[in-house]
Amino acid sequence: MSGSLLLQTLILGVLLGGLYALLAAGLTLYFGVMRVVMIAHSAFLILAAYLAWFFHQQTGLDPLLSLAVTVPLFFVVGYLMQRGLISRLRPATLTMMSVLLTFAIALAIEGMLGFLFTSTQRRIQLGYSGSSIEFFGARIAVVKLIAFGLAAAALVALFLLLKMTRFGQALRATIQHPEAARLLGVNTDRIAGFGFGLGLATAAIGGTALALDSTIYPSLHWHWIGPLMAIIVVGGLGSIPGAAAAALLLGVTQSLLQLPLGTTWAQTVFYVALFATLLVRPQGFFGGRLAQRF
Amino acid sequence: MRRTGVATLACLALTALAAGCGLGSGDAASGDDDEIVIGISLPLTGDFSEPGKGVQRGYEAWADYVNANGGLLGKDVRLVILDDQSNADRVASDYERLINQENVDLIFGPFSTRLVVPAAQVAQDYGFLFVEPAGAADEVFEQGFDNLFYAAPAVADDHYNLLAEHILAMPEDQRPQTAAYATMDDPFAQGTAYGLRDKLAAAGIETVVDEVYPPNTTDFSSIAAQIADSDADIVVGGTQYQDAVNLIVSLRQLGYQPDLAAFSTAPTNPEFPEAIGSQTEGIISPTGYTPDATFEENVAFVEHFTEMHGHAPSEDEANAWTTGEVVAAAVEAAECADPSPECQQELIDFLRDATVDTVVGPLSWDPEGRPQSAHLIQQYVDGEIRIVMPSDAAEAELIYPKPAW
Amino acid sequence: MPSVSDRAAPAHVDGEAPGRSRFDLTIVGGKVVLAVVLGALVLAFPMMATDAFILSVGVVIASYAAFAVGWNFVGGFTGYISLGHAAYTGLGGYGTALLVLELDLNPWVALVAAAVLVALLAVPIGIASLRVRGASFVIVSIALVLILLLVAQSWASLTGGAQGLRVPRPFGPDVLRPEQHERFFYLNVALVAVALAVWWFIDRSRFGTGLKAIREDEDKAQALGVPTGAYKLAVFVISAFFTALAGGMYALWFGYLDPIFQFSILIGSYMVLMSLLGGIRSLFGPVLGAVVVGYSLEFFKVHYGDSQFHLVALGLLLALVVMFMPDGVIPAIGALVDRFRPQRSSIREMTAEELLAHNASIDDKSAGTATATDDERDLATVPPRSGKDLR
Repeated sequence: MSGSLLLQTLILGVLLGGLYALLAAGLTLYFGVMRVVMIAHSAFLILAAYLAWFFHQQTGLDPLLSLAVTVPLFFVVGYLMQRGLISRLRPATLTMMSVLLTFAIALAIEGMLGFLFTSTQRRIQLGYSGSSIEFFGARIAVVKLIAFGLAAAALVALFLLLKMTRFGQALRATIQHPEAARLLGVNTDRIAGFGFGLGLATAAIGGTALALDSTIYPSLHWHWIGPLMAIIVVGGLGSIPGAAAAALLLGVTQSLLQLPLGTTWAQTVFYVALFATLLVRPQGFFGGRLAQRF
Repeated sequence: MRRTGVATLACLALTALAAGCGLGSGDAASGDDDEIVIGISLPLTGDFSEPGKGVQRGYEAWADYVNANGGLLGKDVRLVILDDQSNADRVASDYERLINQENVDLIFGPFSTRLVVPAAQVAQDYGFLFVEPAGAADEVFEQGFDNLFYAAPAVADDHYNLLAEHILAMPEDQRPQTAAYATMDDPFAQGTAYGLRDKLAAAGIETVVDEVYPPNTTDFSSIAAQIADSDADIVVGGTQYQDAVNLIVSLRQLGYQPDLAAFSTAPTNPEFPEAIGSQTEGIISPTGYTPDATFEENVAFVEHFTEMHGHAPSEDEANAWTTGEVVAAAVEAAECADPSPECQQELIDFLRDATVDTVVGPLSWDPEGRPQSAHLIQQYVDGEIRIVMPSDAAEAELIYPKPAW
Repeated sequence: MPSVSDRAAPAHVDGEAPGRSRFDLTIVGGKVVLAVVLGALVLAFPMMATDAFILSVGVVIASYAAFAVGWNFVGGFTGYISLGHAAYTGLGGYGTALLVLELDLNPWVALVAAAVLVALLAVPIGIASLRVRGASFVIVSIALVLILLLVAQSWASLTGGAQGLRVPRPFGPDVLRPEQHERFFYLNVALVAVALAVWWFIDRSRFGTGLKAIREDEDKAQALGVPTGAYKLAVFVISAFFTALAGGMYALWFGYLDPIFQFSILIGSYMVLMSLLGGIRSLFGPVLGAVVVGYSLEFFKVHYGDSQFHLVALGLLLALVVMFMPDGVIPAIGALVDRFRPQRSSIREMTAEELLAHNASIDDKSAGTATATDDERDLATVPPRSGKDLR
């Protein structure tokens, strides 16, 4: 295995890890805010990717422009979903029922996508799809770099939102201790809804990033559920930086393992990590003080 | 409580409604003496939907042509096409339904080796003749089906024979030294690539990368990285469609430029050039069919198809048409077209020893159903698909080494 | 007036029989009749099926029923929802196929042997998975089935990879296909019957009570001395065994194994939906759910096959069940039936004077014998709050 191949693989892993990190951040938000395990996150991801592709197909414009529509749309959908569906579940079995409910939503989304767009595999073809930048002997594809940049920018924006704004403070308070937040006058119901909407908005960004360089088809979301679950278990659900760290780690590991093991076996790293974490340290490794054992 | 009650009633009502509509198709014209009903299950949605729809067009064009020219045994032909969603269990139940509920007289095969095997089993169990347009992998012929015939010139392993001969005939200093192979875990795709690999490896061309990926893989960066790093002289893809597109894009992203690039199936698809950004020059693919072939049947086929659809047919449509021709030849020779085991056995027996003239030339089969002709090799020359081998059918000269993509 | 606080047998009220009411007997009678009628229908189904296609649909539904009942051992008793239970049907299917192909075993021996092997495998899997609860468990179950999918796809030399594995027919080639469908239909029905019998036994046993305690509140159950770990593992292994049997039988019937269908989260979700819909705590719930869902799936595929509409319907149905009917249809029907039951109120419907008189009469009756128990006295020592005092 040559050094250049190693470097190339490392870079690919980092680029992939960035996308994983953005997606994991969304999942952290859902769970933190409502103790909901949102299996439909990856389905919404694919939905966003389809919207980006559809936009590009109909208008011929760069799919990144579709973000202007999809991000607010998904935010509203997330808010409505939380207020209308998730909050109606019985609190006693909330977490488990939320898994089933979001699973059902994922199925419905997959069905609608298949119904509207058929299962033909789609790929956005851009002028710059094949071009790449040279970097110390390795080549970085432009589209992958854009996707990574998008994910990184979104993560930074999310982080700043949570740390610097009042809304972010209220959200963090709701995540930390809902009752105390309520006592302090935070409208936790509405904040939970906004938190959910925020999570779904990250799915919109992630999906558009995905659409740039990937083939999409309706059942693709199953492909992403495993890694995402593993990332939130390994990372722990306490903090977004923690989830991002776990995502990067697992993404790079997967990429590196593809060399000796091949694509398929390399994917098992997620599940192995998941089982190992649950056996050894169920609250995850990067969660910090707020890590939840769910 | 009330909500629960209402919801219960709603669910029960929904299913009662469904029950009322039932599963049977009320007006199955069984044994209608005025027409011959042909049952087919195709992957119109799912993994194989692209070529599946091509096969559908081919079948429909054939039926249209036959009906316009006096029908089969004087009767009109009617196709019943079901969508198996590229699922193996679906295809088996589709043929069950066609044979038992729709009472079809004849059946045509589905697309893809993975679907052909379970479907052929159903056909065998009911004694039906099974001519199929797309199960070309070795596996299909080793199952012990005695009713199966593949309607194309050659089996998967032999698709690249002419290319292998050509490469091995090159002078030592021009010949490629190293080869990289990336195949989908699909019997057909692997069959084509490994057929070529084995011949080249036996002659000393080193295999530096040999990767297999599961169907539905979308991320080829790692495989592409390995191929690019190996800097192999030639790259061979055992591919379907989208995976070839993704692999090529990934290879371009890494700046890899081979001397020769061959991919199965994908380059024969009309959307291929657009999908990979029009840098198709020099990409090679084996094909069973060319619209410019001079066989009498082909001229009529191309004419009729172009009239119907406005463009020339491609391989999938041709395979479908060939299937129709083969079955029609058997039906006309045996002078029967009904579901009875006796008639079906007569059809099978006829084809066992026959040579049928089709749009891909004369076809004959060995006892397991393997056709005995050879596939053509096509290449993109000046932006168009051109046959480059064999020399007597060649429309252009092989471009080697391949221009940059 | 009767009151549920009465320990003494309630007096006759308007012609109702003591003990079980007439209503109860009617219900029991009705259930027996229903069971006999449905049982007869099931057994006669192959004769009634109009063609082999309908018969094959029946086999699929019976197979789904077996899957659902197998799943319900874990889901119904312990409340642990496993979305990845297709792992065991897949393992059973591949196990049976490989034992037949590699070791040349008799197919039926292979079937049982594979199920036993899967049950053994379920021990370490169960020990690892049952450490976590609730949503974690669901995630672990999904992870299990996905990892098995990957392994089955990659280990092509063993499993045939994505190209699939062909399973030889257990009955000779002279058994025609429709006949084969019929035999497998009865085999699956027999499997469901056996599984239901085991379910019923567990339901009535101490083991079952312990499991239900785990379902209601695991920590309290543990505090009360229920060996939660051992019980959970035991029922998990039983579930894996039956599910693997069902999976192996499907493999023998269908004849062709593809990893994507054998280890599919979708099949796992069918199992959950069927059991939830039918009634996760009732004996026949999963069977009812299997019939409803299996039939609807076939219906949607036949009429809307071209699209993925059946997925939308499945998702909607699951969402509906989760949000409004998490206990399932059978309990809901039970609740509806209960609405018609003659009122058995728990609200005291006698005035204070009547209560005093009632207690006095009891005291008179037992005067001379043992002192009246506190229950009978019914708080007569407490000064009555008569209507006058409440003014």
